[in-house]
Amino acid sequence: MPNILSLVLIMYNVEIFMVHRQGRIDQMKQEPLVSLVGVTKKISSKVLVDNVTFDIMPGQIFGFLGPNGAGKTTTIRMMVGLMSITQGDIIIGGYSIRKNYEQAATQIGAIVENPEMYKYLSGYNNLKHFARMMKGITKARIDEVVELVGLGKRIHEKVSTYSLGMRQRLGVAQALLHRPKLLILDEPTNGLDPQGIRELRDYLRRLTQEEGTSVFVSSHLLSEMEQMCDTIGVIRHGKLIDIRRLRTAEGERMYEETAFTVNDVEAAAALLEDIQATARDHQLMVRGDQNMIADINARLVGAGLRVYAIQPVTRSLEDQFMEMTGGESVVD
Amino acid sequence: MLINFARLVANENMKVYYRVRTWVMLSLLLLFNAAMPAMLYWTNAPMDVWTVFTWTESFTIYLSAIFTVIIAADIVAGEFAGGTIKLLLIRPWSRGKILLSKFVSLCLFLLLCAAITAVAGITASLLLFSGNTGFANSSGGSSMDSSLLLLLTDTIQVFVISLIAFMLSTVFRSSGLAIGLSLLFLFTKDIFSFIFNPERFEWAKYLLFLHTDLSGYLKSPVGPWGVGLGFSITILVVYCLLFILISWMVFAKRDVEA
Repeated sequence: MPNILSLVLIMYNVEIFMVHRQGRIDQMKQEPLVSLVGVTKKISSKVLVDNVTFDIMPGQIFGFLGPNGAGKTTTIRMMVGLMSITQGDIIIGGYSIRKNYEQAATQIGAIVENPEMYKYLSGYNNLKHFARMMKGITKARIDEVVELVGLGKRIHEKVSTYSLGMRQRLGVAQALLHRPKLLILDEPTNGLDPQGIRELRDYLRRLTQEEGTSVFVSSHLLSEMEQMCDTIGVIRHGKLIDIRRLRTAEGERMYEETAFTVNDVEAAAALLEDIQATARDHQLMVRGDQNMIADINARLVGAGLRVYAIQPVTRSLEDQFMEMTGGESVVD
Repeated sequence: MLINFARLVANENMKVYYRVRTWVMLSLLLLFNAAMPAMLYWTNAPMDVWTVFTWTESFTIYLSAIFTVIIAADIVAGEFAGGTIKLLLIRPWSRGKILLSKFVSLCLFLLLCAAITAVAGITASLLLFSGNTGFANSSGGSSMDSSLLLLLTDTIQVFVISLIAFMLSTVFRSSGLAIGLSLLFLFTKDIFSFIFNPERFEWAKYLLFLHTDLSGYLKSPVGPWGVGLGFSITILVVYCLLFILISWMVFAKRDVEA
């Protein structure tokens, strides 16, 4: 009897799980490429990463933001299999990094911290080295990647003669060799000049749009992340404290709030109490998508109020996070 | 599968042979294998070819040992020191296979050292001493068989020492420590086998010290303390498997940190 009971319970749970899952797929129309599920890393009694859960969609640039020592690099090291996972699991393209490491790793290209290459080998031999470790990389592909990162003829010189910027480029080249579905970059802008940062940003955008690659990028620089990423996850003291979508699927900036300039702010706020509109700086602030904004406008006009202007408001991420953390900065 | 694994070994070989250091070491080995017979030639000693080669090999095997230990100590620890271990381990290969490719590459280097010793040493000896019968087959002389067997047993000894260096390199991630401790073992093992004498302690015959040098069995089928060749080989195999197991367990489990 207890067996039948537990079986029924399991089936019930599976059903709930399936329903939940189906709902999520319908909602997002896509399976996530990467799923972190309750990932925890403990070293002796110290908790470095605490129950972190998030998904990365195909073609998305996901920014991982947090001060130094918050657990960014530890999370990345677990994602690429350099560190063991104390609890939870990381699924990449359907494969668990714990149970099917080789299949999961095939889909990842990464730079973990500084791109340290073999200094006594030429840039080209470094690429050849990593190409040999993966299936189906032709000589033409190596040349293509060299062209892509713009190392040119210097690819045949020893890495010990390279500048930091060139090493970064070589690092990107080795990460892209096998056309990974997921590109992981740990603090990629360290040591890059503004021009290099801009190039990297444009390149990542192209990569996600043309090849559908997902990019996971960590940084402690907020403004940079704001320009680069579609979604941002904020980690502090090992805990993921917020995930925020910054751009739509088309790459357009998502607006957090819309400001209505009206003749009587108080009356308007009272009218729109049900959608939690707030009065601020003689304007009415509301959250919502395009259709909702149009509806609100119709309601305001319908109630006899005069609408002078409707403007999207973007507050910088820094302001938003300051609000969220109660004035404490999320970055150092 | 095997072909893919060969590519990993090709990578390890590339990292060994694209370094100037390796070619300096191999040139020195070649030089000394040619120079020893030349120096003996100048002394006008009445020696035959195989005695000359035995003398040469007895000296140059120490060079082989030092060089192989340097390669063994650096092959894992060097990746940690340079930070390249991160880019190496995020590829779709299990850590065991990556470690195995390094071990295979190390064995190939050891074989190359033995081949250089054999070819250069024997060629130089033949060129300078070929007409000389000397005191071949009399006391103190060496035959072809015994000198080649000596090269074999010495190479086995170097293999064991370099495996110790390989293990220490993997466990401590420090090539200096690995080189120091493994060469210390090579040069002090006779003192330890004197102190821990099986005549005094029954268990001492299971120690590695007594069995790394198998050349004693070329003169007598019974080893120094009444044990046979089979016993010594068994002890060596058990220790080598243990060293490989320790290296593998540490390398496969370790968290790679900053």
